[in-house]
Amino acid sequence: MTTDTDAWYRRAGSNIWYFFNSLKLTLFLLITLAIVSIIGTVIEQNQQIEAYVRSYGMTWTKVIVYLRLHDMYHASWFTALLILLVFNIIVCTFERFPPKWKAILRHKTDRFDPGLIARLSNNAEFSVNVGVKDVGGRIEKALRSKKFKFMSSESNGEHYFYAWKGVSGRFGSDFIHISLLLILLGSIVGSAIGYKDFKQIYVDGMIKVPQADFALRLDKFWIEYYETGQIRQYNSLLTVVEEGNKEIMTKQIWVNEPLYYKGIRFYQSSYGTAWDRVDTAYVALKKGGKTEADDPVPVKWEELAKLPGSAYSVRVVSYLSDFAYDERTNSVTSLSPEPNNPAIRLEVYKGDKLVSTPWLFLKYPGVFPSIPGVKDDLVFSGYRPLLYSGISINKDPGTNIVWVGAIVMGFGFILAFFVYHRRVWVHVRSTNEGTRVKLGGTINKNQLLFEKEFQHIRDVIEKG
Amino acid sequence: MILSLLFFTFSFIFYVIAALLYIGNWVFKKRWLGQTATALSYIALFSTSLILIMRAAESGHAPFSNLYESMVLFVWGVNVGYLALEYKHGVKIIGAFVMVIESLAMLSAALLPYRFKSIEPLNPALQNKWHWLVDLLAKVGLEKYAIGWLDFHVFTTFIGYAAFAISFGLSIMYLIKSRAEEKGGTNQAIASLPDSTMLDELGYRAIAWGFPFLAVGIVSGAVWANYAWGTYWSWDPKETWSLITWFVYAAYLHARVTRGWRGKRCAYLSLLGFLAVVFLYWGVSFILPGLHAYA
Repeated sequence: MTTDTDAWYRRAGSNIWYFFNSLKLTLFLLITLAIVSIIGTVIEQNQQIEAYVRSYGMTWTKVIVYLRLHDMYHASWFTALLILLVFNIIVCTFERFPPKWKAILRHKTDRFDPGLIARLSNNAEFSVNVGVKDVGGRIEKALRSKKFKFMSSESNGEHYFYAWKGVSGRFGSDFIHISLLLILLGSIVGSAIGYKDFKQIYVDGMIKVPQADFALRLDKFWIEYYETGQIRQYNSLLTVVEEGNKEIMTKQIWVNEPLYYKGIRFYQSSYGTAWDRVDTAYVALKKGGKTEADDPVPVKWEELAKLPGSAYSVRVVSYLSDFAYDERTNSVTSLSPEPNNPAIRLEVYKGDKLVSTPWLFLKYPGVFPSIPGVKDDLVFSGYRPLLYSGISINKDPGTNIVWVGAIVMGFGFILAFFVYHRRVWVHVRSTNEGTRVKLGGTINKNQLLFEKEFQHIRDVIEKG
Repeated sequence: MILSLLFFTFSFIFYVIAALLYIGNWVFKKRWLGQTATALSYIALFSTSLILIMRAAESGHAPFSNLYESMVLFVWGVNVGYLALEYKHGVKIIGAFVMVIESLAMLSAALLPYRFKSIEPLNPALQNKWHWLVDLLAKVGLEKYAIGWLDFHVFTTFIGYAAFAISFGLSIMYLIKSRAEEKGGTNQAIASLPDSTMLDELGYRAIAWGFPFLAVGIVSGAVWANYAWGTYWSWDPKETWSLITWFVYAAYLHARVTRGWRGKRCAYLSLLGFLAVVFLYWGVSFILPGLHAYA
């Protein structure tokens, strides 16, 4: 098409078009994508750089980081391969679909050159000892029994039959290709305007949902067990709260059962115990001179509780699951979320007067006197941890496009693999030896199936 | 465990005998050998179905939750596929290859360590049932028999694997046969194989079944993952390998349908595809870590 007089950009455009309109490119991309995808399954993805240094050494880690093999499926070169495949699909569809569509629209013809029948992949020529009319009847019967649509014509005593079925099967591959584009489009939409987040919500706690005008409250979290002690299910009871404390809906979610509200899904993802809060601490008073402490008293988080038989009341104001004191900054922290060294800080009141704010340690009772100047001491004897539920938050408007793509793909598969485009041509004319029949047919796929069908049609025409 | 184990033992014996009978039919060309082999294959199919049913009865959920059960499902799928093929095309010699694959698959299932076989209750992520089906069955009090994405996902995937396994067998037969045809060998056993064009076409037909089923398996897995974890695709090794396998077979189909490849090149691509299937099924489960580590 291109000539020397064409502008350079037209020639370039034509070359690019030609490049993408190539099945060799498709095969190359499919096999390349298959091979490079293996790398990402062998090298563990999205680990700390140190982990790669440990496994592969410094030099190889540099290679891995340079080629982004540690996050391969999001690397620009991997994306580029996918984009090439997308252009490949688009150009091939543009190039192949319109002619196919036109050919399908105009395929019906009851006039054809009988000489061409001999060139079809399935063809036969034979004589029948009945009249042309009867042969025509047999042909119609045979075609009807195999559910073909057909048309026929007659001129100069010669009969032409053209029959077809399963035309839609031709478009299966187009549906599949479009579905792939839709799925990729959905994933692009998802990563462009969707977001993922993770929040821990304490029981009775509330979080504001990011990029939304409502909040989420956890009313309850519980774990179900099988009789054998294995975990059956994690459950959270969530309430959607709109502005002005308006409760919209309450739903129990579990793994496989998310909550959906205003385009955002909330998934049960994990659970744990708080490292900086407790539900209830158990505090016991050890009166001066006694060796045994009194019975422990439950003290709810941040609520004042009176210790019976004394003038003291206490309030839990801090909790650390893995207490540590940092000398440099003169502050306390938790080394981990594990309850390795649980400690609470109390406000201790005698009557109405705050007398001390000691840290008490579960594992080291009595290391520091808790109330200065008196013999009485307090013991931190236990606690009820505060559970939180880990909720994954996911807004992905692209998901629906992906599902539409999946449905289109299923439809395409049915057409492409289970509907075959079959065509049959028959030419009948009367000769001295009897009625001469030329029978030919093609199928776009599944030749073995068609051979049987073809044989059946021939048998009906020959034997009635 | 007892009944399903009993049926497993029976099925194993049936498959081995069926394989021997098919081979006998191939070598000695006795009609009764072939007929007995086919009858035994149907009995083996029945017996394999009973393994699955008994496992379901013993565990209280569909028998698709560990490696052993999935192997039995695979064997079942290959048997169904083969019997359909034999019924349609009437070539019993293929059975010699298929039933050997079946016997080997049963053997490897039997040899699995106990932890891949034991009946375990479903962990939280595996508990997925279709609400509409639960509601429907609840009307007649059968809601505990409801199935969900897990069952659909595993079933479609394994029908795909089974079809690919059959195509693998056919491709090997094709390579043997076409080599003999080229050399004009006089080996009686090879001469009685179906002709190479037919083997080539049947191998393609098997892939034409496996490819959409694998795709439906992948997509249903994505739908389920979206329910369970909030993301339909996370490049987990199993997911990635399923895509790799799908790419290989996509290449096969494009080469064949659009570029008109036939014969040897197709057969080698089919072997490559099945290697990917084997790694997808066993390699990923044993070697690579990920969400599918349990099955």
